[in-house]
Amino acid sequence: MMTRRRDRLILAGFLGVLLVLGLLDRAIARATSAQAKGTVMAPRYEVDPLWPKPLPNHWVLGQAIGLTIDSQDHAWIVHRDNLIGVNEAAASENPPIASCCVKAPPVLEFDPAGTVVGHWGGPGPGYDWPESNHGITIDHKGNVWIGGNVGTDSQLLKFTRAGKFLVQYGKPGQNKGSNDTENFGRPAKIFVDAKTNEAYIADGYGNKRVVVIDADTGKFKRYWGAYGNKPEDTNFGNYDPAVPPIKQFRTPVHCAELSNDGLVYVCDRPNDRIQVFRPDGTFVKEKFVATNTLGDGSVWDIAFSKDPEQKYMFLADGKNEKIYIMLRETMEILTSFGDGGRQPGQFFAVHSIALDSKGNIYTVETYEGRRLQKFVYKGLAPVTKLDQGTVWPR
Amino acid sequence: MKRALPIAVVSLALAGASLRGQAPPSFQVDPLWPKPLPNHWLLGSVTGVAVDAQDHIWIVHRGYPSMTARTEIGAATTPKTGDDCCVPAPPVLEFDAAGNLLSHWGGPGDTYQWPVSPGGLTVDAKGNVWITAAGVPAIPGSANATTGRGRAGGPAPTSAAGGTTAASTAPAGSSAAGAAGGSPVSTGGQARGGAAASPPPPADAHVLKFSRTGEFLLQIGKAGAPGDNDSTTGLNKPAGVSVDTAANEVYVADGFGNRRVVVFDATTGAYKRHWGRAGDTPFASVSCAKTAKDGTVYVCDRGNNRVVAFDKTGKLLKEAVVSPATKGTGSVWDIALSSDPQQRYLYVADGHDQKVFILRRDTLATVGSFGDGGRYPGTFYSVGSVAVDSKGNVYTGETLEGKRVQKFIPKGAGR
Repeated sequence: MMTRRRDRLILAGFLGVLLVLGLLDRAIARATSAQAKGTVMAPRYEVDPLWPKPLPNHWVLGQAIGLTIDSQDHAWIVHRDNLIGVNEAAASENPPIASCCVKAPPVLEFDPAGTVVGHWGGPGPGYDWPESNHGITIDHKGNVWIGGNVGTDSQLLKFTRAGKFLVQYGKPGQNKGSNDTENFGRPAKIFVDAKTNEAYIADGYGNKRVVVIDADTGKFKRYWGAYGNKPEDTNFGNYDPAVPPIKQFRTPVHCAELSNDGLVYVCDRPNDRIQVFRPDGTFVKEKFVATNTLGDGSVWDIAFSKDPEQKYMFLADGKNEKIYIMLRETMEILTSFGDGGRQPGQFFAVHSIALDSKGNIYTVETYEGRRLQKFVYKGLAPVTKLDQGTVWPR
Repeated sequence: MKRALPIAVVSLALAGASLRGQAPPSFQVDPLWPKPLPNHWLLGSVTGVAVDAQDHIWIVHRGYPSMTARTEIGAATTPKTGDDCCVPAPPVLEFDAAGNLLSHWGGPGDTYQWPVSPGGLTVDAKGNVWITAAGVPAIPGSANATTGRGRAGGPAPTSAAGGTTAASTAPAGSSAAGAAGGSPVSTGGQARGGAAASPPPPADAHVLKFSRTGEFLLQIGKAGAPGDNDSTTGLNKPAGVSVDTAANEVYVADGFGNRRVVVFDATTGAYKRHWGRAGDTPFASVSCAKTAKDGTVYVCDRGNNRVVAFDKTGKLLKEAVVSPATKGTGSVWDIALSSDPQQRYLYVADGHDQKVFILRRDTLATVGSFGDGGRYPGTFYSVGSVAVDSKGNVYTGETLEGKRVQKFIPKGAGR
C-alpha cells in the first residue's frame, strides 16, 4: 500500500516536473522567438479616469501650465487662475452670478490618492508674482520654484512648500535679452541639480537660451543657445520644415532636464527638436520629432523613466496631443499614447509631464484642457502599435 | 474592461426629499462613455442630446466654428499645423448605449440651410431627427466672446487662422495672446483670422428635420428671414425642439431671438399655435419645450430661472423657480423627464451653476442635484442639454468649452 502510494507520488512529482519544464520551455521559446522577431518592449500605461478626486469648494482650474512631483510622490501644479472666464468662475464674481464656480488658488498640491492637500500662491508683499504663471519645480530641499511667460516676466520665484516666499531672482521688465546675466526672458521651466546645487532654466518665451545659476544665490554661472552657440535674439520668423534648421533656438525654449548621467535635454519647442548638451553647454546631439508640426511645435516637455539608468524618456507633444515613449540613449520613438479630446486619457494641449517614484506618469493640459491626469504604470510590455491612441483601463 | 468603477464624483443634495420619505434618484458617472471617437475626431460645443426609441444616443455639436484653429484642430487647417490631430467630427453623431459610434452625418446641403450654429436636437417616435438653428451663443465670458484666440473660420476651413503665425513668443495658451489668434469673435462662425472676408451666412431662424440616416425631410422657417414673436411662418434663433407623437405636433422653443413656444404640424410644418408668457410674466430666453406622456408641456424659461408647466394649448398649470440666485444666463437650460411610467421627476440642466437639478414633477420642488464645475468625469462646463433612456440613464451635453457628452447611471443599477 505504502509503496504503491509512494510510487504514485513519485510519478505525480515526476510528471509535475515534466509539466513545469515543458511550460518553462515553451515560455523560453516564446521569449526567444520574440527576441528573434525583434519585439520591442516599452513601458505601458493606462489612464486612471477617476484621478484626481473632485476639487473642493467648487474650485476650477485655469490653464494648467506646470507640474512637478516631490519626494513624497505628491503632484504639484501651477495654473492660470487669472484667466478663468466669468462664465466659468461665476461664483468668483462680486456679487456671485451663479453658485459655480470658484477660481482655485494657483498652486495646488495633490497627495497620491488625488486629494488636494495644499494650496497657495498669487501676488504678495516682497515679490513680483508673474503676469502669467509658467512652470513649477520642487527641488531637493523641498522648495518650490515658479517661472512666468508673458509681458514683463523676467524673474524666478522660490517659496517653501507651505508657500512662504524665500527669494526672487531677476526683476520684472529688466530683461536685456539672451545675453543678460541678471534677468531672465519669460522663463518657462526650472530643473535643480541636487549634486551641484545648480538650477537649469529654460529661458524661455523671451530669450533663446539655457541658463545655469547657483540655486542658492541665483548667480549666473553659464548659458548657451542652440548647438552651444552664443544665443542671438534675431527674429528668424516662423519655423518651416522645408528649410534647413536654424542655428538658434526658437522661443519658447520650453524645458531643460538633466539626466542622471549628466546630459541636459532641451525642448526647442517650435523647432520640433530636442537638443542634448553636457552640463557645460557642449552640444552632443539632437532629435527631430514630428517635423511637420507648425505653430506651437511638437517638443513641449520631457521626463525620464525612474530606473537608475533612465532607460526611457517621455516627450509631451501638446500640438499632436500625445506622449512619445523614447529610448533615451538613441532617442528613438518606440511608441506613443494619447489623442485629442476631453475624455480620460485624451488631451487638449498636454503641456507638462512628470513621473512619481513608482513610474506613474502625470500630465497637465493648458488652453482649454485644464486638467491634471494620471497614467498608471503597468510594467514593460511588447510594443504592438506605434500610436496607441487613448489608453483606457483594460 | 472594468467599467463599474466606484464613483465619488456625483454629489446628491437630499434636501426636501427625506421629508416626503421618498429619495430621489441618484447617479454615478460612467467615466469611460462614450468610447474614443475614431479618426482623431473632436467634438465642438455640444448643443443637443436626445435618446431614440432604440436607446441610441444622438448629439449635435457646433463643430469647426466652435474650435480653436491654432490649438485644437491642427490637422484640419490649411495648411495643416499638426500631424493627425485633430479634426472636427461630423455634426450629428449616433451612439449606442455601450458608447459605440453607430453613424454620423450633417453639414451644409443644397436643399436646406444648415445652421450657422445648431441648437437643440430631438428624435421623434418615427426615428426622424430634428435640429434647431439657434445662432451663436451670446454668453459673456464664453470662449467665443472673450478669449480672443483663433476661432476657426466658417464651415469651410479658411486658413490656419494664426496657426503658422502663432508667434513663437506667444505664451502657451495665454488668452492675452491676441496676436496668435486674431480679434475676438463677436458674431462667431465667420471667416476670420486674416482670411478674406466673405459675406456672413444668413442668421439662424429655422428648424430642420432629417431621417435618421441624414436625408433632408423638412425645414420650418428660413435663415436670414427671422419672424417676430407673432409670426406664423418665421422663427428667430430657435433653441429647442420636441415632438408630441400623439398629436403629431412639433414644439419649438423660440428661443434665443424670440420669446415664445410655437407649435407646428410635424409632417407639413404648418403653423398651429404659439404663446409667449406664463400668466402675467413674459418669457425671457426660451431654451426648451418638452411634452410629458400626460400631455403637460414643460418650458425652460431660462432667463427667468423658471420651469413652467402648461397644457398643450398654452394654459398655465404650474411654475417653479430653480436656483433663484442665478443671474447671467439663467439656470433652466434644458429639461428631461424620468423614465418611470409616471415620469415622476424632471431633470433640469443648469449650464450656469454646472449641475443637473432633480425636480418632483407633481410639485416642481427641487429635491436633489448632481454635478459640479470642472473638466473631469461627472463635472461640467456649461451643461446645456439632458436626455434619459428607457433604463433611466441620464445623458448630458456640454456646450461652449465643455464639448462633451456624458452618461450617468442610476445608482444600484447593474451594468
